[in-house]
Amino acid sequence: MHIDLPTLERTIAVIGGIIVAVVSAKALKDDWATPGIENHVFKIMLGLLFVGAIIAMLAGIGVLGNFGKAA
Amino acid sequence: MAVAFLPQGADLTDHPGADQLYIETRALRLQGFLLFLISDCVLFSSFIFAYLYMRNSGQGWPPPGIQHLDVAFASLNSVVLFGSGATMHYALENWKHGHFNRYAAFMLATIVLGAGFLSGQAYEYNHLIFDEKVTWAGSGIFGASFFTLTGMHGFHVSVGVLYLIILFLQSIHGIYTKDKFFGLTAGTLYWHFVDVIWVVLFSIFYLI
Repeated sequence: MHIDLPTLERTIAVIGGIIVAVVSAKALKDDWATPGIENHVFKIMLGLLFVGAIIAMLAGIGVLGNFGKAA
Repeated sequence: MAVAFLPQGADLTDHPGADQLYIETRALRLQGFLLFLISDCVLFSSFIFAYLYMRNSGQGWPPPGIQHLDVAFASLNSVVLFGSGATMHYALENWKHGHFNRYAAFMLATIVLGAGFLSGQAYEYNHLIFDEKVTWAGSGIFGASFFTLTGMHGFHVSVGVLYLIILFLQSIHGIYTKDKFFGLTAGTLYWHFVDVIWVVLFSIFYLI
């Protein structure tokens, strides 16, 4: 089966995005009750990481951005 | 303050007051590092808002003669960087729980993924400059803003990879303990910061 390069990139981006989103959401849940300023910053960062992973996944699917157009 | 009377470069590891000194200075070091990250955030924000202002004052985007960027590859590269943020988080968590082998595995994975992101960025630059003839100075606002912002971010990632390598070597040599590991905390904060900046850059350059 032949898979072209953009399709392969898109597939890896979607799978990777799902994995990172799940992992960051789990890390955020586990750290939710931890005290201290650095842990609060970590929680904000993990939340934004989750958002970033979702955005990358949606871009990979083609929902966001002009997917597939060459630079 | 007691710290002022200690000789510079003195090894305080076995000093009776070392624990107290660590506790007293940790909060200050954390505040200093967070201020550094905030100042870096202001630096990126000023460039980002300048880019958005110029973009909205022009006639359509991207400018005539410049095609859209390759979103497929950028998505893949973004996931690589975001994945490194997750591995860095678990590296710190495993250090806190005393699992050195797992810490080492996650730390090395972070370094490899960070280097992978930089390789991807180098590949993209190569494609843009030599195949698409998009350059920093010769492609107007688009080229200048794209290469300035992504280049500045890439520089931060490069520094971050070196920083993580140094932290990893320090942890191997016993600089940090299960209770004293501020360097690793700062490294994790920095790495999350470069991740979060990329969320913004990826969105404004590739998606909108």
